[in-house]
Amino acid sequence: MTSAVAAGETAIELTGIGKRFPGVIANHDIDITIQAGTIHALVGENGAGKSTLMKILYGVQKPDDGTIKVNGAEVSFATPSDAIAHGLGMVFQHFMLADNLTVLENVVLGAESLHGIGDDARAEITRISEVYGFGLDPDELVESLGVGERQRVEILKVLFRGARIIILDEPTAVLVPHEVDALFENLRRLRDQGHTLIFISHKLDEVLAIADHITVIRRGTTVASVLPSETTSRGLAELMVGSELPSPSTEESTVTETVLLAVRDLEVTDEDGRQELAEISFDIHAGEIVGIAGVEGNGQTELVEAIIGMRHLSRGTVTMSGTDITHWTTRQRRESGIGYIPEDRHRHGLLLDSPLWENRILGHQSRPPSVVGPWLNLRGARADAERIIAEYDVRTPGVGTNARALSGGNQQKFIVGREMSGDPKILVASHPTRGVDVGAQAQIWSHIKAARKDGLAVLLISADLDELIGLSDSIRVLLRGRLVGRFDPQSVTPQELGSAMTGAGDDR
Amino acid sequence: MLAFIAGGFVLLSAVRVISGADEITSSGTLAVTLTATMPIALAGLGGLWAERAGVVNIGLEGMMIMGTLGAGYVTYHHGVLAGVLGAIAFGMIGGALHALATVIFGVDHIVSGVAINIIAAGIAGFLAEAWFTDLPGGGPTQSPSLADPGKINLSFLSEPASNLEDKHWFLVSDLASVVEMFTKNLSVLTLLGLALIVGSFFLLWRTRFGLRLRSCGEAPEAAESVGINVYRYKFTAVMISGGLAGLGGAYLALVSTSGFQVGQTQGRGYIGLAAMIFGNWRPTGMFMGSGLFGYTQALPFRDGTHSVHALLLVVAGLLVAVAVIQWLKGSRRNAIISVVLGAVFLTWYLTTDIVPADFTKMAPYVTTMLVLAFAAQRLRMPAADGRIYRKGSSG
Ligand SMILES: Nc1ncnc2c1ncn2[C@@H]1O[C@H](COP(=O)(O)OP(=O)(O)OP(=O)(O)O)[C@@H](O)[C@H]1O
Ligand SMILES: [Mg+2]
Repeated sequence: MTSAVAAGETAIELTGIGKRFPGVIANHDIDITIQAGTIHALVGENGAGKSTLMKILYGVQKPDDGTIKVNGAEVSFATPSDAIAHGLGMVFQHFMLADNLTVLENVVLGAESLHGIGDDARAEITRISEVYGFGLDPDELVESLGVGERQRVEILKVLFRGARIIILDEPTAVLVPHEVDALFENLRRLRDQGHTLIFISHKLDEVLAIADHITVIRRGTTVASVLPSETTSRGLAELMVGSELPSPSTEESTVTETVLLAVRDLEVTDEDGRQELAEISFDIHAGEIVGIAGVEGNGQTELVEAIIGMRHLSRGTVTMSGTDITHWTTRQRRESGIGYIPEDRHRHGLLLDSPLWENRILGHQSRPPSVVGPWLNLRGARADAERIIAEYDVRTPGVGTNARALSGGNQQKFIVGREMSGDPKILVASHPTRGVDVGAQAQIWSHIKAARKDGLAVLLISADLDELIGLSDSIRVLLRGRLVGRFDPQSVTPQELGSAMTGAGDDR
Repeated sequence: MLAFIAGGFVLLSAVRVISGADEITSSGTLAVTLTATMPIALAGLGGLWAERAGVVNIGLEGMMIMGTLGAGYVTYHHGVLAGVLGAIAFGMIGGALHALATVIFGVDHIVSGVAINIIAAGIAGFLAEAWFTDLPGGGPTQSPSLADPGKINLSFLSEPASNLEDKHWFLVSDLASVVEMFTKNLSVLTLLGLALIVGSFFLLWRTRFGLRLRSCGEAPEAAESVGINVYRYKFTAVMISGGLAGLGGAYLALVSTSGFQVGQTQGRGYIGLAAMIFGNWRPTGMFMGSGLFGYTQALPFRDGTHSVHALLLVVAGLLVAVAVIQWLKGSRRNAIISVVLGAVFLTWYLTTDIVPADFTKMAPYVTTMLVLAFAAQRLRMPAADGRIYRKGSSG
C-alpha cells in the first residue's frame, strides 16, 4: 500500500519518549517509527497519552525523556514554530481557533507568506473548501460556526499549509460518514503525493479503513504495532484496554405515553434575519430517545440552544410536561430538570482552569448536593465529583485536578456524568460520546439506557450513525434547518440515513 | 458609521439655527475641541494597540505623564523635534515596564498598570523638581515655556471658510467651520496624530503583522499553535502603546499648553481608555469617542451657559433618533423610554434660557454618559484581553 515516493524512508522516529505531569505519567518509553508516505494511526483509551505525545512531537510540550528524529535528523522543538519549520502541521483535538476572527483570518494566520491575507488566500480557501465539500464561507466569523464547521476549518487550516507531515488528532469526531469518506479520499491522495500522516481516532472502523500501520498505546506506552489487515476493530479494542469488551445488550422499548418535551413550530433566525430553523415540531415522551441525524451546520447548534434557552426563538413554543417554558431562562430550565451535554466541551461545558469539583457545581449551582441553604456545599460537591469519577471511569488524579489537565475523552465523561446527576427529566445531548473511547462509549450508552428505563426523555444529536441507530427510539433528519425525514431505527440502514442527510433523492 | 457622523452633524447644525447658540459649531469651538480630542485619542490609540494584543493597559495615564515629562525636559535642551521623540521614548519606557511585568512575568495587568501610574506620577514630581527648579522660567512643578512644534495655515482655504461661517447659514456655515478647523493653526502634532490613527487601522487590519498581533489578543493558544511568537507580539504592542501615550503627553505639554506641568494629564489616560471601549476597540470608533469627550470638554468654555443649554436640545434630538431606531428594531420598551427622556430634555430646553454656570462643567459628562448608555452598541472586546498567557499552553 505504501507509495513508492518515499517508501522505506523514516519520517519520524520517537525513541523512549517520557512525559510526566503532577500525579500522572502521561507517556513513558514510547517507541514509534513512522515511514514517510504512509498513514499511521494511533489508538488507545482515553487518557492513554496520544494527544500528549502529539503535542510533544509538535513542539507544544517538551518531553522529559527520549529523542525525536524527523527525516533522520534528531530535533528538539522549543515551540510549534520550530516544528512547522521542519514541515509539520497539526489539527488539535480541541480547536485552536479565534472566535472573533473570520475563517479566512484563522486559516491564513501564521501562513501568510503562502497566499497573502487577501483575495489570493480567499480564492485558495474557497478552492479547498469546494474540493472537500466543506461549504465554508471565508468571511464568516468563526464565532458563528458550530462544531462540525469548526472541525472543517481546522482541517482546512492544515491543508492550506501543505505540511509534509500532518498530525490529525481526532479530526473526525463530529463528521458524518460521507464527510469522513471525502476526507479520507483526500488523505490518501496526500499520502500518495508523499505526505506522511498521523491519524488519531476512537472510531476503530475508520482507523482500519485509512491506516497503513497502527500503533496501540496503553497507559502511556506503546504496547503493540499492528497492520490493519491483520486485525479487526474488536481485536484493536481489546489491545487498547487489555481485556475483552462487553458485548452490547439488546433492549425493549421503554417509550411511554407521557409527553415530556414538546416543540411546536419552532423558528430561529440569525442576526441578518436569515432562517436557521423553521417549522420544527416534535414530541419526546418519557422513556424515549429521539435522535437527530444530520450533517453538522444544518441547524443542530441552533436547535439545541433554542431548547436550552440560549437562543431567542422568533416563533414557536417549547413545552415541558405541559408547561410553556418558551420564555424561561436557561437556569430555570436546568433547575426544572433539563440536562445539557454541549457540543463543544471547551466552549460551553467546562471551566478549564478550575478544579473538577468546581466544575461539578457548574449548572447545578442552585441545587443539592452543591448547595446547602444559601451556601455552596463544597464538601458535597467534592463527594459528588468523586462519585462521577468512579461511576464514569474518569481517569484523573483527583477532584482537585484542573479540568484542563484531563484528556479530552475524560473531560467528556465528566460532563456526561455531571449532566446525568440529579436525575434530569430531559437530557439534551449533543455528541455525548465525542472523543470517548469504545469502552467508555458503551458505558455511557448503558447509563443513558438505564436512565431511559426510569423515564428519561433524551434529545440525541450525533454524527455517529451507529450511536443514533443503536440508542434512538425514533430518528429525525435535520437538513437546512428543517426536519425532513423520520426513520425507525429498527429498520433503517446507515446508507438510507446518510442519503437523507444530504438531501440526495430530493431537491439537491 | 459615516451616516451617524453626518446625522449628528446635521442635528447640531439644526439646533444651532433654532437656538441661535452659534458657538456650538463655531470654528473656535471646533478648534478647541480638536486640541482637547487629540491627547485623548492618542492615549486611546495606545490602549487599542495593547488591548488588541491582549494586554489591558490601564498604565496609559502613567505613560502619558512620562511623555509630558520627556517632552518638557528634552524639548528645553534639544529642541522640539527631539522633544517629541523624547516623549515617545519616555512613554515607551513605561510601556516596556508594563510589558515586562505582564507578558514576561505574568503579573496581573491591572496591578502592573496601576503601579506604573503611581510610580510615574512620583517620578515626574521628583524629576521635575530636580530638573526644572533652577531653570529660568521654570519651577519645581513646571518647566520653562517651550517651543511650539509648528502650525499649518492654509489661509487660501481658511479665509473664505471664515467668511462663510459668519453668514450663519444652515449646514453650509457649519461645514465651513470644519474646513477652518483643519486649515487654520492646525498643529503639526495633530496631523501626526491623525495620520497615526489612520495608519494604525491599516497596520492592524490590513497587514500580516496586524493579523498576528490581533490573534494574540483573541486566541493566544491558537496563535502559538501556528507558530507565532506570542510574547514578541505582545511586547511590541505594549511598547507601541506606551510610545503613543507618550506622544499624547507631548501633545499636552507642547500644543495644549506651552510647557510641562505636574499633574497636567488630569486622567486623560483613563478617558482615552473609555473612548477606546466606546469605540469598540476600533480606531474610528475610538476617535469618535475621543471627539465626543473633547467636544463636551470644550463647550463650557465657549459661551457655556448658552451653548450647553443648546446641547439640551441636541440630546433631546438624539434621544428621539434612538427611539426611532429602537422602534424599528422592534424593541418597544427601549423606544418608549427614549422618547420619554427626550421629552424631559425638550421641556427643560423650552422652559429655560440658560443652564446654571455650575452645571455647564457637569453637563459634558452627563451628555457623554447618556450617549454611552444609549449608543447600545454590541461591544466586543478581544477575547483574551487581560488574560495572562503562559507560553506552552497551546493544545
Ligand atoms: N497539561 C496537563 N497537566 C496535567 N496532566 C495532563 C496534562 N495534559 C494531559 N495530562 C494527563 O496526561 C494523560 C494523557 O492525556 P492525553 O490527553 O494525552 O490522552 P489521550 O490519549 O489524548 O486521551 P483522549 O483519547 O481522551 O483524548 C491524562 O491522564 C491526562 O490527565
Ligand atoms: Mg487526546
